[in-house]
Amino acid sequence: MPGLLQLALFQARRDRVTLPVWILGITLLGFATSSAVVTQFGDEPSQAAILTLAATNPAFLFLRGLPDGTGVGAVVFFQGFAFTAVLAGLMSTFLVVRHTRTDEELGRAEFLGSVPLPRAASLTATLLLGAAANLILAMFLAAGFVAAGLPVPGAVGAGAAVGAVGVFFVGLAAAVAQVMPSGRSANGAAAGLVGAAYLLRGVGDALGTLASDLLHVSSAWPSLLSPIGWGQRLRPFTSPDLFALLVLLAAALGVAVAAVLIRRRRDVGAILLPQRDGRERAGVGGTSFVGLAWRLQRSTLAGWCVGAAALGAVAGALGPLVSETVSSVAPLKELISRLVPGGQAGLIDVFVTALLGVAGVFAAAAGIQAVLRMRAEEAEGRAEALLAAPLSRARWIGANLFIAAGSAVGVSGTAGVAAAIGLGLSGTSTGPAVSLVPAALAHIPAALVFLAAAAVVFAAAPRLSILLGWGMLAGGLVLGEFGELFGLPVWLQDVSPFRHSSAMPVEPFDPGGALALAAIAVALAGLAVYSIRRRDLTA
Amino acid sequence: MNTATQPVIETLGLVKHFGRTRALDGLNLSVAAGEIHGFLGPNGAGKSTTLRVLLGLIRPTAGTARVFGVNPWDDPVRAHRDIAYVPGDVSLWPNLSGGEVIDLLTGLRGGADGNLRQELIDEFEFDPRKKARTYSKGNRQKVALIAAFARPARLYLLDEPSAGLDPVMDAVFRRHIERVSRGGATVLLSSHILSEVEQLCDRITIIRSGTAVETGTLGELRHLKRTHFRVTGLAEPARLAALPGMHGISIDGGAAEFDADAADLGAVLAGIAEPGISGLTVAPPSLESLFLRHYSDRNTAG
Repeated sequence: MPGLLQLALFQARRDRVTLPVWILGITLLGFATSSAVVTQFGDEPSQAAILTLAATNPAFLFLRGLPDGTGVGAVVFFQGFAFTAVLAGLMSTFLVVRHTRTDEELGRAEFLGSVPLPRAASLTATLLLGAAANLILAMFLAAGFVAAGLPVPGAVGAGAAVGAVGVFFVGLAAAVAQVMPSGRSANGAAAGLVGAAYLLRGVGDALGTLASDLLHVSSAWPSLLSPIGWGQRLRPFTSPDLFALLVLLAAALGVAVAAVLIRRRRDVGAILLPQRDGRERAGVGGTSFVGLAWRLQRSTLAGWCVGAAALGAVAGALGPLVSETVSSVAPLKELISRLVPGGQAGLIDVFVTALLGVAGVFAAAAGIQAVLRMRAEEAEGRAEALLAAPLSRARWIGANLFIAAGSAVGVSGTAGVAAAIGLGLSGTSTGPAVSLVPAALAHIPAALVFLAAAAVVFAAAPRLSILLGWGMLAGGLVLGEFGELFGLPVWLQDVSPFRHSSAMPVEPFDPGGALALAAIAVALAGLAVYSIRRRDLTA
Repeated sequence: MNTATQPVIETLGLVKHFGRTRALDGLNLSVAAGEIHGFLGPNGAGKSTTLRVLLGLIRPTAGTARVFGVNPWDDPVRAHRDIAYVPGDVSLWPNLSGGEVIDLLTGLRGGADGNLRQELIDEFEFDPRKKARTYSKGNRQKVALIAAFARPARLYLLDEPSAGLDPVMDAVFRRHIERVSRGGATVLLSSHILSEVEQLCDRITIIRSGTAVETGTLGELRHLKRTHFRVTGLAEPARLAALPGMHGISIDGGAAEFDADAADLGAVLAGIAEPGISGLTVAPPSLESLFLRHYSDRNTAG
């Protein structure tokens, strides 16, 4: 037991920068959301107004969650819970994979495995660390909510809801890490499961049943498949349901125990998925920078495309369905036609636009990930062998930027095609389904700005590239999703490239904005190519 | 200096700082065309840093480096055209097979000689179909060596190339060094193992704390080579002091320990050959002890 604690403390020391950044970042988001709600929606009429607006709009339900009556706490929970839970899930999965599969892949686990402790000791220590991190996150969040003026019992419950979702993903990531062959693939799969949890909850909530007071929505069954959906059922500020908390913690314990049992029975470094031999000779394109970049990116890209396809399909197929559900409530018809220009067709457009916007974020993320792979190549010593060849660094970064941009186009295109197919199959004609393809592609210029900016950071300050590369995307997301709620000045909200994408089909295509974004992306890419030449290769 | 005698590698007063660490501190290194040059030094002496400067991967804080007369930082592509490099710490793409990595690294330099590639794979008894994540340290080293030797180059920069190789594979490696050397190529081989450098190299530079402390042919450095003896059963150990080339004699009862200059080994062996001796241990000098002595000698002389 003291050995276990020592291992957990050792792992915590390795995370002494990463974990505080995650915990404080999530806490800050929670605090900012609640104080914004307190200032902007302090009185009941304004709360009722925003909740009605959201409850009758499936896009809102999908992205944010379920309106649960008036009250500052209830509005905060509705606005912020799903995002916060996703962040807690990602913090947890990255934490677990870093100390399990990545350590095994790099041979560190073998080293630690030589100490006189049970085989699964290191995994158990990681599970302890993950639980502790989420407990601290829950306490910090609760303290932030209280500081912003929310009632104490509800604040504690809301923190617990987020922490419990995080703990569930600690257990789930531990199980994923037993199966996947590498740290990178384990991270991808576990993060994908966090995304799937958000998506399932979104579908369930968007298909939910609207109460007659227009202030409450109860979710449909898909939400029950999602840990984030279960966290939401906790309803800490209105009618606390401890059963939901118990379900989450029991599920977390179940997957964690399964992971420990697998770890006890398997070899160190063993991979449960079968490993095939590779090919003896490089294939076509396997001897160039572009070929290598493609080879390294293709499975990641496939993952993003699957996510984008799911999102697109939901956007296309579900839009008509949810708008029908809402419109079938007779008294709402008039209300919706007043709130949403275009009535039911308008409602579909808003839903599709919101989801394609998320697909645009996926496109940016896929591109950023391709760019950041260069940093991994450099830090892990492989770039040295590549750059000893008689080819310039400019060609190396250029090849990777090409694949990154291609990834962004591929992800957006996949979302658009999936949305068009979904809308086509749903049989609702609100316009040609094919028009959703350009609507998805309209987000490419903003995605290009993000990946090119990540390349500039990599070229100029390599050690900051992972932090800033993802940090810029997170910043853009927060500005886009929460900027208005926080009452940020317009110029600051306008910093986010997403703000300048055409939100089709609700808005018309804005060629000027797209061209400006593309020009900025090209300029940034040029700066990256120029800067990479001027620095040392840095481990 | 005309082009025929221009050194392939020349550095003058090379300095490299990483923060407060001085990795290189005025390094002078000159490697002539066609020679196998040993670059010898303890861990952390600055060997890998020097090779990275020579490849233009990092920029020297001060001093100049020339490879084929080209500044590798200003024009890495031209400098790299005829270089084969084996990094000190070979890191591979875990999801690529060994064969794919070899084709990638040779392909970026213009493509491998197919027969040579196959010959190397056979001689190194290497399985190119396995994914790189399954390779041991020695097998990763083989990937880098096969990629370096599977295509002709005029300069081979090898950073502790035989690390992780077993003696049989080490012999294969040496055979290929000798092959490319016969073909007129220049080799810079960094190592911390004196015997490895001795067997292969024409000239040696010894680096310590980022500075070249000795450079010359093996013959010129002979004065650095001393063999360590431990003899038991000598009738009159005190007599040893009269023999030529003796250093650091210590006598403990019937046992005597001392170092002898390589040039005087014959006289020393004759001197200790007497009927009564009951034990004899002879050890080649380790690099560290060589350094230590080198410095203490310099200190006492100064």
